[in-house]
Amino acid sequence: MIALTGVLVLTACTTPGGSVDGASAAGADGTDGIVLADGYELGGYNPVAGFGAAGEAKMYDGLVRLTGGEGMPGFEPALAAELPTANEDATVWTVKIRPDVTFSDGSTFGAEDVVATYEAILDPASASEARSSFDMIEEVVQTGDDTVEFHLAYPYAPLLTKMLIGVVPSESVATPGLAAESTLNTAPIGTGPYTLVDLSPDRAVLEANEDYWDGAPEVKKLTLLYVPDDNTRAQRMASGEIDGTNLPPLLANTFEGKDGMTVTAHTSADWRGLSLPTDNPVAGDPAVRMALNLAANRQSMIDNVLGGHGRVAATPIPEVYGDAYEPGAIFTYDPARAEQILTDAGWIEGPDGIRVKDGQRAQIALMYNSVDTVRRDLAQAFASDALAVGVEVNLEALSWDRIDPRINTDSTLLGGGDEPFDPDTQAYGALSSVFVQPDVGSIYDNPSDYQDATVDAALEVGRRSLDQAERDAAYREVQDAYIDDPGYVYLVFLDHTYVSKDAGWTMSGPVLEPHAHGVTWGPWWSLQSWTRD
Amino acid sequence: MARRNLVIAGSVLAVVVLYAVLVPWLAGVDDRVTDFAQARQAPSADHLFGTDSAGRDLFVRIASGIRTSLVVALLCALLATVIGVVVGTAAGFWGGWPDRIIMRSTDAVNALPHLLLGIVIVAMFRGSLLAIVLSIALTHWTQVARIIRSEILSLRQRPYIDAAVLAGASRRQVAVRHLVPATAPQAMIAVVLLLPHAVWHESTLSFLGFGLPPHEPSLGTLLEEARSSLLLGGWWTLVFPAAVLVIVTLAVAFAGQALRKVITPPQPSELRL
Amino acid sequence: MTTVQAGREERPAGTGQDAGQAGTVPDDAPRPSEGQAPSVQDLRRGRHRDIWAMVGRRLLFIVPVTAAVSAGLFAAAKYSPFDPLVGYLGTRYMTTSDADKAIISEQLGFDRPWYSTYWGWVQDLFGGDLGLSRSFNQPVAQVIGERLPWTLLLAGTALALAVVVALVLGIAAGVRSGGILDRGVTALCVVVQGLPPFVMSLAAIAVFALALGWLPAAGLTDGGADPTVGGVLRHLVLPVVVLAISQVPWLLLAVRESVVTSKGEDFVAGAVSRGIPTPTITRRHIVPTSLAPFVNIVGVRLPELVVGAVLVEEVFSWPGVAGAIVTSARDLDMALLAFLTIGTTVVVMVGSLLADVVVALMDPRVSTDG
Repeated sequence: MIALTGVLVLTACTTPGGSVDGASAAGADGTDGIVLADGYELGGYNPVAGFGAAGEAKMYDGLVRLTGGEGMPGFEPALAAELPTANEDATVWTVKIRPDVTFSDGSTFGAEDVVATYEAILDPASASEARSSFDMIEEVVQTGDDTVEFHLAYPYAPLLTKMLIGVVPSESVATPGLAAESTLNTAPIGTGPYTLVDLSPDRAVLEANEDYWDGAPEVKKLTLLYVPDDNTRAQRMASGEIDGTNLPPLLANTFEGKDGMTVTAHTSADWRGLSLPTDNPVAGDPAVRMALNLAANRQSMIDNVLGGHGRVAATPIPEVYGDAYEPGAIFTYDPARAEQILTDAGWIEGPDGIRVKDGQRAQIALMYNSVDTVRRDLAQAFASDALAVGVEVNLEALSWDRIDPRINTDSTLLGGGDEPFDPDTQAYGALSSVFVQPDVGSIYDNPSDYQDATVDAALEVGRRSLDQAERDAAYREVQDAYIDDPGYVYLVFLDHTYVSKDAGWTMSGPVLEPHAHGVTWGPWWSLQSWTRD
Repeated sequence: MARRNLVIAGSVLAVVVLYAVLVPWLAGVDDRVTDFAQARQAPSADHLFGTDSAGRDLFVRIASGIRTSLVVALLCALLATVIGVVVGTAAGFWGGWPDRIIMRSTDAVNALPHLLLGIVIVAMFRGSLLAIVLSIALTHWTQVARIIRSEILSLRQRPYIDAAVLAGASRRQVAVRHLVPATAPQAMIAVVLLLPHAVWHESTLSFLGFGLPPHEPSLGTLLEEARSSLLLGGWWTLVFPAAVLVIVTLAVAFAGQALRKVITPPQPSELRL
Repeated sequence: MTTVQAGREERPAGTGQDAGQAGTVPDDAPRPSEGQAPSVQDLRRGRHRDIWAMVGRRLLFIVPVTAAVSAGLFAAAKYSPFDPLVGYLGTRYMTTSDADKAIISEQLGFDRPWYSTYWGWVQDLFGGDLGLSRSFNQPVAQVIGERLPWTLLLAGTALALAVVVALVLGIAAGVRSGGILDRGVTALCVVVQGLPPFVMSLAAIAVFALALGWLPAAGLTDGGADPTVGGVLRHLVLPVVVLAISQVPWLLLAVRESVVTSKGEDFVAGAVSRGIPTPTITRRHIVPTSLAPFVNIVGVRLPELVVGAVLVEEVFSWPGVAGAIVTSARDLDMALLAFLTIGTTVVVMVGSLLADVVVALMDPRVSTDG
């Protein structure tokens, strides 16, 4: 009855109560604006809380930025006037600040803003999720009008990866407090190529910063829609309502060959694999670990689950890392050898086909996050492969808060590669035994509690050395040693897939992508440098 | 008429149950074995209903799905009926102010948007079978309670109850020995009538992602999967589970209706079909 | 509970949903119109008094029910195995350290006992503060303000459509019961009763949006565009039709049932024997007496309409409040969830009360005693 009255009122006044406010959208018809649908939530735009740590934030600039192109990306100065330099043991880094840059609120960017941003990230009162990954920084000090120095707790060669994160005005972080509660989350103030002009839970509108220090972007307006469901994004893309979106590989493939649409696949260091916790009586057994690595049919997963958009993984280091990649470090699909290894180790097939050793059934619980269809399918494919060699993998679809407490006892289907722009940030958290100690790092650091002395030593060399050749050799050693003593089953590196509508822009080309792959990546990662054909 | 309906509905139901029980057993297929290379194959002689997103035969998987859904539904219906019988018996037996209080509370539960509360509860405790069963049972016992109460009220007038009381039976004995057993036929009908509702509910919850995990076959999870398979051209992933769902719920509902007519006296008007 | 004697019971195949108890009468329910024979004026005055009493009683009833439901919600949330921080932190949940999670938990009051959280919420509510929705990161009042109109538009249009279709087809089928139309319509209704709204939604998208491309599959407007009348109407078609169809069978069968029943009553037989033409009898006698139970059924079906709206909004990404219920329950976003659930409960209870009042006014045979 109430509802009925409601509709009478609404239809009577023909324009239903305005609920979506803000500027009119450029939409697909606009010539210099684009509309993208993202599966990631909008808002949460505070770098102090960890937003844009890989440098993808459109409203902010870091001290340095990525150069893009095929292969491993390089760094170029952004808010730094030139590339930062290190002392000989990589413990003190000097950064010269770019002059004449202003924030979107009109204030002038200066060295004190850099100091304030990093201090806020490191301040426990901010409770920043990024803090633990910045723990090598002891302090940041201003040493001149336009210079700052980063003083490190230990030698750290890949510090440039920590300078990608956006810089905020010192006034915005003057009062200590939870970074997640800061107004920067919904009203970001940065020096970046775009400024946020409107934000609602399902739409964010960004406009070009006409005073951008690197030249005003030609794409004048960017509208981001929050559409969490993959299928809905695909439907809206198919009906031509949006200019682009990220889609799971199989859905993206359905757009292949459609007029005016382009499917783009970008190489990433975003791996999927599963942990094998040392404390688990089955998964912790070296023979089981090796056998599962040989039993997994990775190529079939890429061909059929990922629609061809992926690469085989054996370690967290992908081939794109060039000299730091060891081509010989692979697991060949060989179920017969896997069975032989299990049998030799005393895992004997029981009456139901599942192996048993000393009364212990070869069964593992594998937890996966239930909202992700790619994870669901990889988990199912792996469980099937494991069953074929007599290891039972019981799947459990859970949300992360249910997975957390069990992460050190049961297997988890994991993703990684949050910061892929150096082998250290890519591999250290996964493989270093530093994180075996409770309360060191996040629980997702080394969830297998993996310990290998050779791997540990090589990881430390790579982290501290400034000599590129020495670092590369160290990471090849990491892979060699890991292959003989695996602690995970790394399955695949995803190629992130995107669909975009052709609109006559010249784009800058791809970049190696991290774990996150919303529409801030893909063809749109360098939106500010696009030009009209 | 009612008997004929019962036979037809019962036969359909029997076929469905046989399908659900026999097919997975005869096929001898392990649910855990996947073959993604065979994913989303259209219906053919090899795969009558096509294959699902993991390359499993849908004819077999739907059979397993019916089994899961029916077992869950049966648990829900049984629990709801038990609650309803207890509440209804208590109200009808005591009468007076306890009856008034109990029936007022029943009305209160009944007045709630209970399907919605069910969804809310299951969302809070998602992924647990117990939560599904409880959410359905706790919101669906009211009708059973009403039916049982009026049944008890009419039974209390019967001569044999008076005889038992005259013979010196205590109130408790009368209730346990005579009243509750006499409501058995009504309780049975209630279970059957609740079944389709429970199947429907389970599929809805699983579809919303609050029910069974996506890798376990139930009518709800199969339909959830259809949502993405449709975009990849897999119409059969929607059509067959949906058809089976409709057939199962209708067959059970008709069987329940017919059963009620056979057991209880005819009602004023009849549905023609 | 108002009870209706006309057109009672025996609704076909109560599949999946429970329209059931709508027309039932407790056997011992007293009937106020029985007994001594007072004057017509007395009767009417007494009847109005009865209706007002019923309204008062039922409105009073809403208070303890909503209190119990809201308290139950907060208690359930506390015992939920899920961490409300997930909804709050979103994807950052994974990388936030335990120590920081503890700090945030304390700041947001997640570690307080449920009754303390609940009491705080009640106090805020009566102070006019609906609180902050953590999953939408907006004040609850704003979430409701932005989304409620769309839900009202969707549910209202669907209900209106369902009512019209049910009345027209139901009367047509009932008047010629046993005819081809009657059999066809009834069979169709029975099948639709077995189809959950989400299956219908998927089928509608598959056929009309994906295969034929006639109508948009999701959302309120084309991506990013501001709502225009034409745009919203185009997006409204599929969800409204699906929601309406999912509600039609119960309404339609109820109309048909009461038309069939009143056809057999004395006054109709009398009219026929006086030689009044059939269309006139239908218009003057059969339809009016069939409306009361129909209105009653509409009232009883309100909860189903709400659930239908939840599913339809979910599948069609309609930005309404019904879909927000699912989101807030998943995230344990109590401020929003409690308000939406209580709001829905009150709307449903008041709605069914209104329906009962209308029924009581329309049909003097109806009892107002509960």
